[in-house]
Amino acid sequence: MTPTDAPGHDVTTTLDFLLQEVDGLRTRWVAPRRLRVDLPAETLPALLELLKGRAGYVHLSAISCVDWPDDGQFELVYHTWSYELNVLVMAHIRIPRDPGVYLSIYDLYRPAAFFERDIHEMFGLWFEGSPDMGKFILTEWEGPPPMRKEFDGEAWVMEQFGWQEYRPEWLTEIEAKGGGISKRPEQLRGDKGEDGTA
Amino acid sequence: MRPENYQAVSHPPSHEYEVFFGPNHPGIEGNYALKVRLHGDEVTAARADGGYLHRGFEKLMEGRLWIQNIALVPRICVPDPVPMEVCYSLAIEALGGLEVPERAQWIRVMQLELSRIAAHLFTFGGNAATTGMYTPMFWGIADRDLILDLFEELSGGRVYHIYNIPGGVRRDLPEGYLKRVSDTLDYIESRLPDYDNLMFTNQVFVRRATGVGIMTQEQALDWGVTGPNLRATGLPFDVRRDDPYLIYDQLEFDVPVEEAGDAWARTLVRRAELKQSLRILRQVVARLPEIDGPIRAPIPNPLAWNLPLGDVYTRVESSKGELAYYVVSNGGDKPWRVHVRGPSAMHAVQVLEHLVTGARIEDVAQIMFSLDACPPEVDR
Repeated sequence: MTPTDAPGHDVTTTLDFLLQEVDGLRTRWVAPRRLRVDLPAETLPALLELLKGRAGYVHLSAISCVDWPDDGQFELVYHTWSYELNVLVMAHIRIPRDPGVYLSIYDLYRPAAFFERDIHEMFGLWFEGSPDMGKFILTEWEGPPPMRKEFDGEAWVMEQFGWQEYRPEWLTEIEAKGGGISKRPEQLRGDKGEDGTA
Repeated sequence: MRPENYQAVSHPPSHEYEVFFGPNHPGIEGNYALKVRLHGDEVTAARADGGYLHRGFEKLMEGRLWIQNIALVPRICVPDPVPMEVCYSLAIEALGGLEVPERAQWIRVMQLELSRIAAHLFTFGGNAATTGMYTPMFWGIADRDLILDLFEELSGGRVYHIYNIPGGVRRDLPEGYLKRVSDTLDYIESRLPDYDNLMFTNQVFVRRATGVGIMTQEQALDWGVTGPNLRATGLPFDVRRDDPYLIYDQLEFDVPVEEAGDAWARTLVRRAELKQSLRILRQVVARLPEIDGPIRAPIPNPLAWNLPLGDVYTRVESSKGELAYYVVSNGGDKPWRVHVRGPSAMHAVQVLEHLVTGARIEDVAQIMFSLDACPPEVDR
């Protein structure tokens, strides 16, 4: 932490003092009014309860999910804001990609219902105790959760619809001058075969 | 129909039915649906149904270069696109350690506030139309068009400007542009008494909006509501003032609040905010000529630009509330993850379902428009 990155002395002291009550936290001021906390997944409910109960963190701004397939993990980031301290706390946890199950924080923060439902739909995670994990956006989608890294949207499109040759006259003219689309998209990506699959 | 005009009729128990509001309906903003269960004309249950505007932006962004995504982000909120561009640019600038030149920051604020006025005029029009008053709708859209003219002159695009890019803005103001901004502000200010006469003091509207869709401050906080809807419950929170970005800390403006938390209070907050945006724009128009310098920080070749490993959460105040981007870089030339937190994701789903339950069928559209829900932000 550098002094310029931290907000007023009182706020840092309050938060640093408060966060000592939870074991296993690593905290870092990443920008003015932005405190990053890394912690084990099982400690998160205790941290959120402490923040909400003792530091006015009543606003859950968002829950973000990041897929790290190489590590075999999902990262969940809980962004909470205190209207009293005016500091955003970003709590980062990692959970195993398989089976991809975590606890719902709906009891603490009602907006969690939307974010957990969204993450379930897009990444396939399951949140124990979330009030509604039904489909919302991808109502007619039967495929895998599309935001997972292994889902290749372009390959899926190629598989479903195939490549359509489109060579109007103006394109032929441009190609004659050395421009235009000379390679099909999957050829541009060296790691993919002709059919778009790895 | 107001309660005093309504004579209750007792229905047989079977008098329950379902009505689909949307996905294509004049009482719905954008393509969105509400399935409401009715008993007589009272809503007994409601279910929001989204996804009609899902275009998979978050996934698309992972496959495109940092700079290419600028063309995608404004599409996430059609009526108020500038905050999307700015919020995404702020995230990249934070990740890449870019310092935005002062002149660009002032120009960005000008764009943001013009966009806010345009979005509020649009909402007033839609909101009035839900009570059967169509003139404010025509006026709102016509007056918004004058702001779109300004956007078009500056960027070439009326709705999607793709004008704010990482590091600053795409081009400097044309000759005489500030004068034309100033003239448009004069014109919009001169129109406010007309809007007051037609809408804000019109009993047709006032009585349809008062006491409808009431949300207490406790509920608003509990449900994660932000923006004008939160301020209509008495909490003066505004990201521009309380988590300032760009040069908002150098500007003078008030954060208007109302206490009642109903549709009328939400409308009044937006009306007061429109005046504050005019006030901000007057300051920007006065100061901008004195601020010289570049409009863009030098950036590396954008086609081969790897941002350092890291993550950032940036927030701006859009006309709908707290808009945030969570952007993760794994050190590559494309984002590893972009999560868009649209403010409407809160008040267009859970809150809307709660507020319309117990309301009357004729107030459903009014409640949705008074919340200023923007479905594309929910669907992304």
